[in-house]
Amino acid sequence: MIDIMCEVLTPKNLAEALLLLSSADSTTKILAGGTDVVVGKTQGSKRFADAETLIDINRIEELKGISEKNGMISIGAAATFSEICKSKLVEEKLPLLKKASNTIGSLQIRNRATIAGNFVNNAPCADTVPALLVYDASIEIKSQTATRNVSLQEFLQGPYKTLLQQGELVTRILIPVPQQNYAGDFYKLGRRRAVAISRLTLAVVIQLKEKKIGDIRIASGAVTPIGTRFPKLEEFAIGQKMTDNLCQELAKKMGEEVLAVTGLRWSSAYKLPVVQQMFYQLLKGLER
Amino acid sequence: MSKDFSIVGKSVIREDGFEKITGRAKFADDYKFDGMLFSVMLRVPATHAKINSVDFSAIQNNPSVASIITSQDIPGAKKIGMIKNDQPVFCDEKIVTPGDVLAMIVGEDETELRKLLTKIKVDYTSLPTLTDPKKSLDPDALLIHPEFGSNLIVHHPLRKGNVEKGFAESDEILERVYTTQTIEHAYIEPEAVIAIPLEDGALKVIGSIQNPFTVRRIVASVLNLPNEKVQVVQAQLGGSFGGKDDTMCMLSARAAVAALKLNRSVKIRYTRDESILESYKRHPYILKYKVGFSKIGKINAMKIDLLADGGAYCSMSPFVTWRSVVQATGPYEIENVQTDVRAVYTNNPYTGAMRGFGSPQPIFAQETLMDEIALHIGVTPDEIRRRNGLKLGSVTATGQTLKEHDVNLIPVLNKAVSFTNFAEKWKENKKNQTGLKEYSFDQPIFKDEQFISSEKLIKKGIGLAVSFRGCSLGAEGLDQSSCYISVQPDGKVVMLSGLAENGQGLRMTLLMAAAEELGVTADKIIFLENDTSKIEDSGPTVASRGTIMGAAAAKNAAELLRKQLEKVAREVSKLDETDFISFRENLVFSRKKGMIAKFDDVIKAAFENKVELSAIGRYKSPDVSWDEHTGQGDAYFTYVYGCQVAEVSVNTGTGEVYLNKITAVHDPGTVINRLGAIGQVYGGVTQGAGYGILEEVTNEDGMIRELNFDQYLIPTAKDIDEIKPLFLEGNEKYGAWGAKSLGEPTLELGAAAIANAVCNALGKRFYNLPLNLEEVLLGRKLRPQDLKRGSL
Repeated sequence: MIDIMCEVLTPKNLAEALLLLSSADSTTKILAGGTDVVVGKTQGSKRFADAETLIDINRIEELKGISEKNGMISIGAAATFSEICKSKLVEEKLPLLKKASNTIGSLQIRNRATIAGNFVNNAPCADTVPALLVYDASIEIKSQTATRNVSLQEFLQGPYKTLLQQGELVTRILIPVPQQNYAGDFYKLGRRRAVAISRLTLAVVIQLKEKKIGDIRIASGAVTPIGTRFPKLEEFAIGQKMTDNLCQELAKKMGEEVLAVTGLRWSSAYKLPVVQQMFYQLLKGLER
Repeated sequence: MSKDFSIVGKSVIREDGFEKITGRAKFADDYKFDGMLFSVMLRVPATHAKINSVDFSAIQNNPSVASIITSQDIPGAKKIGMIKNDQPVFCDEKIVTPGDVLAMIVGEDETELRKLLTKIKVDYTSLPTLTDPKKSLDPDALLIHPEFGSNLIVHHPLRKGNVEKGFAESDEILERVYTTQTIEHAYIEPEAVIAIPLEDGALKVIGSIQNPFTVRRIVASVLNLPNEKVQVVQAQLGGSFGGKDDTMCMLSARAAVAALKLNRSVKIRYTRDESILESYKRHPYILKYKVGFSKIGKINAMKIDLLADGGAYCSMSPFVTWRSVVQATGPYEIENVQTDVRAVYTNNPYTGAMRGFGSPQPIFAQETLMDEIALHIGVTPDEIRRRNGLKLGSVTATGQTLKEHDVNLIPVLNKAVSFTNFAEKWKENKKNQTGLKEYSFDQPIFKDEQFISSEKLIKKGIGLAVSFRGCSLGAEGLDQSSCYISVQPDGKVVMLSGLAENGQGLRMTLLMAAAEELGVTADKIIFLENDTSKIEDSGPTVASRGTIMGAAAAKNAAELLRKQLEKVAREVSKLDETDFISFRENLVFSRKKGMIAKFDDVIKAAFENKVELSAIGRYKSPDVSWDEHTGQGDAYFTYVYGCQVAEVSVNTGTGEVYLNKITAVHDPGTVINRLGAIGQVYGGVTQGAGYGILEEVTNEDGMIRELNFDQYLIPTAKDIDEIKPLFLEGNEKYGAWGAKSLGEPTLELGAAAIANAVCNALGKRFYNLPLNLEEVLLGRKLRPQDLKRGSL
């Protein structure tokens, strides 16, 4: 009994979509997979309450596809998680993104939900955000008059808030191909093994040279107001030897940072020990 | 079983399977009628409130509103109930729980009606709430239904022997308190019903109805009509698990009142949120156990005090708690038992029948307690059960001597234990226990020793639980069933049953029983839709009685008919009196002449000779007895036995419990449809696992937090790895060829077995269901302080 009254426009190409967006006001929303918009509208979410028109971007070829060019992997904003999971390129070059995409919802949700939708909605628990952050993803945003590129980190402003302006559309996600000697892993904890909202996500990529950390990038989701990198931790770690002691040290520091951002909340009694323990476990798995 | 069956015991795909997986099956909401109206419910966002006035003026003249329906429109009973009439059809004076409905508005456009609901002005005064059942019987407790003078719904006492003497003679005594949570049935199809006015003021109801006869009785009482003027037809049912009983009576009654008032068809269909808000739940229990035992673990005495939260209405509480009082000790022979079970009113969502029906709660307590006793005296969990378990000739807590059936408790236990190599694994896991780290809320940042070395992160555990379960209704009520079969001139058979298909596969089971007895293939029989005006009242389809009562009636009907056909075959083939005739797979055989005819030929001859070609088979339960003052009697005429073993992996860093394997050994008597039986085990085990580790309906001052499946989590296929069903088919004289019960036994053991397995992994015992992430890691539940959902 889903009954949402909206006008749905289906532009056939990017130019048409941008034209439609150029004259749109706040009552127009972009419809990609619909797994947030349709559900939110049905539940009476305030964020979608004023939506009267939906611009369906699923038929736009320019927003699809996953390709590699000049050391950059480019993923179409409307690529679904099922497409990402099936991509050989993603599997080979961006294993954390594949792992994160695979944990999202159910097969039915992954068949619809899109990668850009995940971070444009910017829920605290967006599963692919930590993976994209450690891959230093940036995004291409277009309007009828301009194109701009922003790093994802900068794009994400706060829970359900981004830099996306009226009239703009995220068109592609751009990720520099990680160098060969990077290792990494992604971890998700939910209340069950499928169709679960994450309680905690963690992503790490690391470059080790003779046990020394040459480079490290760390991100988390669902324990902070939005998915975020940990630059202080990264700075602290770089140049140090990857020892058990360091793994513990980093895990404690992550606990401190999370605590500093969130303060003690109802869920902290559970989440704080778990974030430290599982970040430690994740690092131990990368210690080789 | 030595009998050579042609179809019984085989795996047969259910007759409605194709329709269901191709989307052709017609569920209640799929029915549409000309001029049909919809009806939507008016509620207030309060838990307990006095309704001062309801002002409909803003919508009264709205063209979208065909009618406003209030309790003024009810011609008959304004309050209904399964046992006690305490639930108003429309609450015009006060509400006692948030699901309560004040009135409805009826019209053609359901979406528009829902919008109009917000324009109705309700003036109400919130009243203090009572949501803690422990306070319900306090002398100064507010009364949910003041007219009853107390919040006590029912008290079942049981006295056997002398517990004080038993404790005095014991070497050790343990006292424990357990809690179990409220859970939701979570049937896939939310409630839907259509009331259709017929000629002469009669009425037809089609709906997602578990028990058509109960709905007929309630609707007739609300409309003040005789039973025969109300016809109830069951649509294909998308799951029930005991949950489409009271709620469907209520919705049917409301739709019926509107339909008769307007003389038009009226449909009510619930969204998931409304369904969870208003429908009843499984009772949460507080369970206190005191047990005295000897050095070798022989239990001398058990004192049990159970408190069930009945919520705002009585519903099935007296019967649910009655099963608890009979089975609360578990399947153990104990000389001295004192049990008190009480159900009380609160302002919480009301609780009633749910698959298990008063057994999963005490089984969780008593089966984890048995493991504690085993640990105390230093034996394995299977051994403590062997020492105390019921055997042939044992006397139960209610004073019933177990006889005249296979008392298969120890055999199912032994089969499960040897199949899983239980004792060895249990000892090995116990040796590897490392316990859990302690965490401090005030000093949340880890000290070095709080980190777990990676190889110790995941711990393995194995645990088991056993049960005995009384079949069918027992001393709860009248226990009989009917089945009508009739053969058409072309040899096709039609069947009508008084028991209902609830998605469990009953149709196929009954078809197979009749086919076996009649000597035809099951595809020759057509199961007609369940209709109260065409067959005798056979009681509700509950208490795992579908097979034991239903298949027996189907077999009896087929037997009556076959005897008629035997006479015809004998005459037509001119067989002598000493020859023996048998029917098998659409053919008729004589011992002397071999195959003598086809089934269809015998039917043709019978039809031409004007022989009666229909029969009504009946089955009634043997007598049972009960003394409600002492809790003594032969509570059920027979029992089934089961043992489940859970093998788990526990993440000591997160508290996650992963179910690697559940082995389920059950004695259902004779298995009729093996595929259906295996399906029951898969479903029951999964539901039991949800109860054990995931599911919980919580509330904030009576307001439910988990109103949809984004918050209320049931297990997915990914949460359990392997389920292994094993049947130990005992000999039984009741039912069809000794076919007893299976549905509920499969779901009642899981939570206890899992809790024991987690304890085996961690060395830590859990007393409060469910064993969710926080319970396992921190030993307590954490709740958000507000009712905000997801991304709202």
